Amino acid sequence: MTENTIKTMKIKDITNECKGVKTIFFNMIEGNHGGYIIPKAGQFVMVWVPGVDEVPMSLSSYDDKGNWAITVKDVGECTNAIHNLKIGDFIGIRGPLGNNFILPNDSSKKLILIGGGIGMAPLKCLSLEIMKKNLEFTIIEGAKFSEEIMFINDFQSFDHEYSEVIYSTDDGSYGLKGFASETFESLVKNYSKSEIPNLIAYTCGPEKMIFKVFQICEKYSIKLQASLERIMRCGCGLCGLCAVDPLGLLVCKDGPVFDSKNLRQMGDFGKYKRDFSGKKIPLD
Amino acid sequence: MLEVNISGLKLNSPLILASGILGVSYSTMLRLINIGIGAITTKSIGPKPRKGFKNPSIIELYPGTFLNSVGLGNPGIDNFISEIKEIKSHKIPLIVSVFGDSNETYLDVALKAQNAGADAIEINISCPHAEISSIGIDKDLTFKITKLLKKKLSVPLFVKLNPNVTNLSEIALAAENGGADGVVAINTLTAIKIDINTKRPILSHGSGGLSGKAIHPIAVKKVYDLYKVLNIPIIGCGGIDSWEDVIELFLAGASAVQIGTALYNGLEIIQEINNGLRNYLNKNNLNSLNDIKGLAHQFKTQEVPEFD
Repeated sequence: MTENTIKTMKIKDITNECKGVKTIFFNMIEGNHGGYIIPKAGQFVMVWVPGVDEVPMSLSSYDDKGNWAITVKDVGECTNAIHNLKIGDFIGIRGPLGNNFILPNDSSKKLILIGGGIGMAPLKCLSLEIMKKNLEFTIIEGAKFSEEIMFINDFQSFDHEYSEVIYSTDDGSYGLKGFASETFESLVKNYSKSEIPNLIAYTCGPEKMIFKVFQICEKYSIKLQASLERIMRCGCGLCGLCAVDPLGLLVCKDGPVFDSKNLRQMGDFGKYKRDFSGKKIPLD
Repeated sequence: MLEVNISGLKLNSPLILASGILGVSYSTMLRLINIGIGAITTKSIGPKPRKGFKNPSIIELYPGTFLNSVGLGNPGIDNFISEIKEIKSHKIPLIVSVFGDSNETYLDVALKAQNAGADAIEINISCPHAEISSIGIDKDLTFKITKLLKKKLSVPLFVKLNPNVTNLSEIALAAENGGADGVVAINTLTAIKIDINTKRPILSHGSGGLSGKAIHPIAVKKVYDLYKVLNIPIIGCGGIDSWEDVIELFLAGASAVQIGTALYNGLEIIQEINNGLRNYLNKNNLNSLNDIKGLAHQFKTQEVPEFD
């Protein structure tokens, strides 16, 4: 068994996060027959729904007993099939795949996590790692409207001495009104010039949102780690569908998390992806 | 010292990227060239855009051994021409793998690829999980399509062989008689993986093609057999993940090799293999890999004894 081998296992639990979003829990040690690899926040799995399809999904949590979770928005055929699964149904998992978010060891750093919609999933996983390291962090959760806000209960359980959660909806129906990127820039402006070099930003969400966050980070010289998404078959550096020009980096293997240095040189970033045939097409 | 010349195609390393692996974007190909690969073979390109089979389409079975059924997903030659031009603007030695649904469409795609700048054409008549495999299992069809393309093309023409046949030598000879400038041996071997929990085949297409570690000895055997009957160069392919595997294929009779599956461990393997090959040549006081081509054939092996 390797991380690229499909392991089938029964779903342990399913929770509703918000309208159209569910979290699926499974135990990787049970399904693995040896060769279990401990994942890290930012890594993803290929999720096989038998008879339907196999799609990449970031982990939204994991624990030290091998319980992993993915948080899935019902947006298409495969995610719809995932939503129709029940506790005890089999799913197939390959992973953990790709690279991960990197946390500083320096406790003087202040971390800002900016998520848009279902892009909150890997950031929730990251926030759990940050809690263990006792670093100071702020989460900005962006959503279209209040019904799409997720993980409220998880975030409420956090120790508020170190953390703050800011909700931001496009229509103002929950938390602040505005895009997550705008809320991020307002937050940055509140820091003094001497504090800004200590900020590190982490983001995931629609790529156009990520691109705006990137531009803000460049403007204020804030280091950024962004998790990108592309269509992929193999998830392990073979099919080439997730290649981003002009560096030729593979989202599955060199990513999905890319830092500012790579993002700066990534012409496709915020603009193009490839479809299942390998043809380059504009991002939605 | 690693230079090879296959029917006029001059390469700085005997390592060629195998079709179907990373052969989509010029930028990934450029990374492979910069790390020392000799040439690129593109993903197989057909007359029209094709999504291929749904996922799961590429899975690992054992460490280094993969099963796939991509089903010839590709952007289609008309969309791919700009990519070929981009690739050639970076001076990347390029073999375009082509397929069609008839001899005429094969020819059409091959000519378009050649005109866009391809340095050689490889014809895929052997994908074990698509309808075109029917050409690669028939010596007459193989002869006809090779002859047709060879007549119209000016760049070297390679035929990728389907190993899922009873007598590979007669098909390879048909390609040679049709005018092929070389054969690539071997494509993936037909295989299936059934999940014991869900009790169903894992790949969306059911069966697929086996590649990687497990098929290397089979590839060596096929190259060894073909070397006995062919005059044209053989490009060895199947499960290479070390310099020793490359040497073994040359000893069996290969003039160059293709590498694919092993790249899942990272592109650095190209550099490691090139370094290993140089060390081997230096240690053995050899100037070129050509000096060891087919050397395994000098030894007599024991014949099957008569029954008493």
